[in-house]
Amino acid sequence: MAKTWMPRDVSTLADILADARVWRLKDASAAPTRPVWSTGCSSLDARLPGGGWPTASLIEVLLGDIGLGEVQLFLPALVECQRRVSQGGGGEAPWLVWIAPPHEPYAPALAQQGIELERFLVVQPASATEALWAAEQALGSGVCAAVFLWLKGTDDRWLRRLKLAAEAGGALGVLFRPERHRFESSPASLRLLMTQGEHEARLDLLKVQGGRPGPVDLGGTPLGAA
Amino acid sequence: MISRAAKSRTADLFAENASPAPAGSWQPAVPTPLQPAGRPRAKQLWYAAVFPQLVKEHSTALLQRLCMHAQQFTSFVSIEPPNALMLEIKGSLKLFGPRLPSDIDARWRQLELQAYSATAPSTLAALWLARGAMGRPRQPCPGTPASTPIHIEDLGMLPGRLAELPIACTAWDIERLQTLRAMGVTRVGELLRLPRAGLARRLGKATVQDLDIALARQFAPRRAFVPRERFRARCDFETEIETVAYLEKALEPLIARCADFLRERQAGVQTLRLKLRHRADPATHVHLGLASITSERRRLMDVLAQKLIRLELQAPVRDMELISGALQPLSAGSLDVFAGRPSAGASGRDSLPQLVERLRARLGEDAVYGVVSIAEHRPEAAWRRVQELRGEKMADHPILTDRGMPRPVWLLAAPLPLESVLLILEQGPERIESGWWDGKGVARDYYIARQTRGARPHGAPLAHGARLWVFQERQSKRWYLHGMFA
Repeated sequence: MAKTWMPRDVSTLADILADARVWRLKDASAAPTRPVWSTGCSSLDARLPGGGWPTASLIEVLLGDIGLGEVQLFLPALVECQRRVSQGGGGEAPWLVWIAPPHEPYAPALAQQGIELERFLVVQPASATEALWAAEQALGSGVCAAVFLWLKGTDDRWLRRLKLAAEAGGALGVLFRPERHRFESSPASLRLLMTQGEHEARLDLLKVQGGRPGPVDLGGTPLGAA
Repeated sequence: MISRAAKSRTADLFAENASPAPAGSWQPAVPTPLQPAGRPRAKQLWYAAVFPQLVKEHSTALLQRLCMHAQQFTSFVSIEPPNALMLEIKGSLKLFGPRLPSDIDARWRQLELQAYSATAPSTLAALWLARGAMGRPRQPCPGTPASTPIHIEDLGMLPGRLAELPIACTAWDIERLQTLRAMGVTRVGELLRLPRAGLARRLGKATVQDLDIALARQFAPRRAFVPRERFRARCDFETEIETVAYLEKALEPLIARCADFLRERQAGVQTLRLKLRHRADPATHVHLGLASITSERRRLMDVLAQKLIRLELQAPVRDMELISGALQPLSAGSLDVFAGRPSAGASGRDSLPQLVERLRARLGEDAVYGVVSIAEHRPEAAWRRVQELRGEKMADHPILTDRGMPRPVWLLAAPLPLESVLLILEQGPERIESGWWDGKGVARDYYIARQTRGARPHGAPLAHGARLWVFQERQSKRWYLHGMFA
């Protein structure tokens, strides 16, 4: 039955979708749940609701210090989402935006990890307010898969704006802040604390919407590998 | 300069070679491949006008304005710098009648411009004849009706009429004209009698080609004048405006008109200029560069609004003017009727160029950039910033490392000297020795290290336990921090 209407010589899904006779019931079939990206670390995945980093939300990472493997925590997810988008075709948001990173993001390292540098953007604003504004624009734009923002500190009102922008744009929003902000309230749906333990970095879940907070055993995953 | 003796010798030589062949024996050296199909060259009729008043420096803009006037007579107008226009009028003759050339002349008189004109079946013939008319003393002064206009439609008459012209009418370079004068050639007719091969050898192929074009034996394509349209709209304020917020409100209708203007022409702009005039101070200009060509009202407004936010008004504004850059054709992207994703701009979602230009409008051009990796051994030279963001997958990024040694996510702007720091070297060494040829040579052994205890290097916010990318300079044996794994 299906063969009667199938276009001939179809090789890929894209060819089928390009056929004028094929209509896509995209919205109807799309599940309302947000996609989740695996962290690349099974013990962490198990602790997160949905089994990975939630998109369309704000994640806050509180850092004891930079250089603890905080970027490595997210790199597998970034690579995975870029790969999925470039394979899955158009319509998705493939750009990665890093706003106010503490040092120069080193292109060879990112390429080595599998990041597509063609869709990687660095923004270096002059002030924290401008960084927040840029983050809000990027999160809400809908063209970014992930927006990372490094900040010294910010108030609750701005965080709410970022969260709303992330929800509107569907991006993975990650905010890196110093550890001293851990006792402030935050609208982020996921809060992590990274500190230096005796021998290796420690990861604590301070707040997990739909999950259970507590320390995470990273189980010897090479967090510092990047 | 050619000495008298040389001149006479040249003339003698020339006399030997000169053949008394009639002008009709002139054969084109090149076949005429440029001739458009279905339009034989004899079917063209060119009207040329020379404006002796135009000075070289300012002529381009003026000629462009004259082109606009000329476009009422024909669709094909071409500029011949520095001071002439050429119109193809064959088709227009049917519509306007045989008096068309004198009508065009009358138009120049109306504009109070002195013009000499000629009509001929080839571009260069018309131009040369017009220049020839300029040289003649019996030519009309401005305001007086022209004496019999030069009008040649018959190809057979062309060589005869051209023959009378002095060679200066060709406007060739001084060198060529001097050589010709030294040869005793003063008229185009004498030139036409010269043997073709010898002429090409002495004066270059271009000379022969010009003669072919003038005699309508070769078709010379010309570039048609295309008017450069711009959007320009002004808004006068009843009272002087002091706040940017009001300006933004007043700008909205201007932008809307601009977007309509662009949409009607199926064109877009990439640059816009907003001119704010004050009572006494010089006008403030706000320049706007867009990442891509657009005609979208919302996008233009967004970016201009971002620019305005940063603007500090020096003085109250009396009126403002919006001027578009050159119009550019808009490449239409097809929209999928049934696609779930709405088009950019319609639903509040942007495309990346829009995001980038919004960020750049507020943060500055340099604040937003991409990075590329370069096939280079020296770590600091193995990457660079790029301003142009494509988003397409290019060739694979080459990474030169020794046995896949990892690179750190953060690279310090400059290597930081490490002193009194206890490091545990975990991986390495990776020897990098390169760049001796450009004066920035390095000879280093790189290690991946972990800091245990001790003072932090000055200015480096290091965690103890953080993984570092350090190197030892091989000559000085000193240690430096170059990057951080994160």
